[in-house]
Amino acid sequence: MKTITAYKCKDCGHVMYPHHYRCLNCNGLDFKEISPTTKGRLLTYTIVDQLPWGIDERGRVLGVVEFDNGVKALGVIKTAKPRIGMRLKVGWQPVRVISGEKVYGLTFRKTK
Amino acid sequence: MRPVVVAGVGMIPFERRDEDSLVDMLAMAGWNAMEDAQLGDRSIDAVYVGNMASGLFNHQESVASALVDRLGLMPAAAERIENGPASGGSAVKNGFLGVASGFYDIVLVVGGEKMREVIGPKATDVVACMTHPQAEYIYGVTLPALAGMFTRLYMEKYGVTHEHLAMVAIKNQENGLLNPYAHIQMKITMEGILTHPQAHINSPIVADPLRLYDCCPVSDGAAAILITTEEIAQKLKRPIVTIAGVGQATDTHTLQERSDPTDLRAVRISSQQAFKMAGLKPKDIHVAELHDAFTILEIAESEHVGFFSKGKGAKALADGETRIDGKLPINPSGGLKARGHPVGATGVAQIVELVWQLRGEAGERQVKDASNGFSLNFGGFGNNVLAFVLRREA
Ligand SMILES: [Zn+2]
Repeated sequence: MKTITAYKCKDCGHVMYPHHYRCLNCNGLDFKEISPTTKGRLLTYTIVDQLPWGIDERGRVLGVVEFDNGVKALGVIKTAKPRIGMRLKVGWQPVRVISGEKVYGLTFRKTK
Repeated sequence: MRPVVVAGVGMIPFERRDEDSLVDMLAMAGWNAMEDAQLGDRSIDAVYVGNMASGLFNHQESVASALVDRLGLMPAAAERIENGPASGGSAVKNGFLGVASGFYDIVLVVGGEKMREVIGPKATDVVACMTHPQAEYIYGVTLPALAGMFTRLYMEKYGVTHEHLAMVAIKNQENGLLNPYAHIQMKITMEGILTHPQAHINSPIVADPLRLYDCCPVSDGAAAILITTEEIAQKLKRPIVTIAGVGQATDTHTLQERSDPTDLRAVRISSQQAFKMAGLKPKDIHVAELHDAFTILEIAESEHVGFFSKGKGAKALADGETRIDGKLPINPSGGLKARGHPVGATGVAQIVELVWQLRGEAGERQVKDASNGFSLNFGGFGNNVLAFVLRREA
């Protein structure tokens, strides 16, 4: 499945997403490209009723997920009753249309 | 570095201003500051304009060049400074550096934004353009959404409640009623925005847990200051208010990369820098203008700046300490919540309010015996923050 690319510092092991030229923890310059694991945990979320121009929906749940390998990323949470700490499984789906093109991104569903 | 004095301040009322272009607004505010300074026919060396998005909002660029032309200040140097919602603060900082360094003697700093030219969801989208393009923007994240996620964590960690958030809104809208420049002129009650069974109709969810009355309005407006050296300021015969401390710090672009997302690191560091430079401590401040784009921010910033210890800001608020007649009045102007938040204008408008307060010219909302003031201009979602300490000289 397609997903995001995250970066693990070869010097200190710090995991970063998105990409930075220097490690945010140790200023190291060498990174290994890694993919997030398939499951993670919800760190925080919001239910957005006033979305920006071009997203014609209400109540989109956005949240930050920490994957089991330490990657942290924002995504669309596809569950009606989110709660902090809940286990989620990752997906890759269209999240927005920009200039007529479907843009894909991280989506999450409830799992054990 | 030479001491830098704010010799003149000017604003126009923040509101929906369909009749005025962005440059019209910048010119009116700039002119008001020049008149306030009693500048006469002295020439201005440089003009800095704080503005976030004139291209996307108004289809106009190079607004600083347009402004010097409109005011007739050529051949003054001119540039626009863009730093998201901290554009105004950044323009003030650049003007400060110009005078402090000895490079310029008289500088005009103007901040402004005309946001109501586009419809609400488009304004939301323009502001969201400052988020990370791949890691945030594509998901439909908005600034209220980032603030919502932050609020949820802050409430959980520090026991901040919906009532506390509403208290910020109520206090600041009460203060706004005393400020003729404030966009929102309306008293609100806890019942009307929170506790009545139908309060959700008045104050619907924007980005849960944040409701409409937790968010600042979308406004048009401009504010300006004229800054100069002590020597010239003395000739201008206006009360002397100096920019005694300046700080600026950055943090990660995305909220998710902060090891503790409830820690507003750039607020802490920029504030410490400003206090250190001024030789003052948070307890020495008599009046503060904080960046309450969302109610939670006034509480969180009041702690990160050092006015209250972590987790104690909500209690200080509930105890009335931050009211105009309290121990440390916060946002006597009404803050972003009531004055409005034309993004590029805000950082300058905060300084304007402090100067009025420190001169004793703030009318009905005057804080008693204020001689040291503090302002915080919060860019992005805390990823680029400016702090200022202002001092009334004897
Ligand atoms: Zn490292």
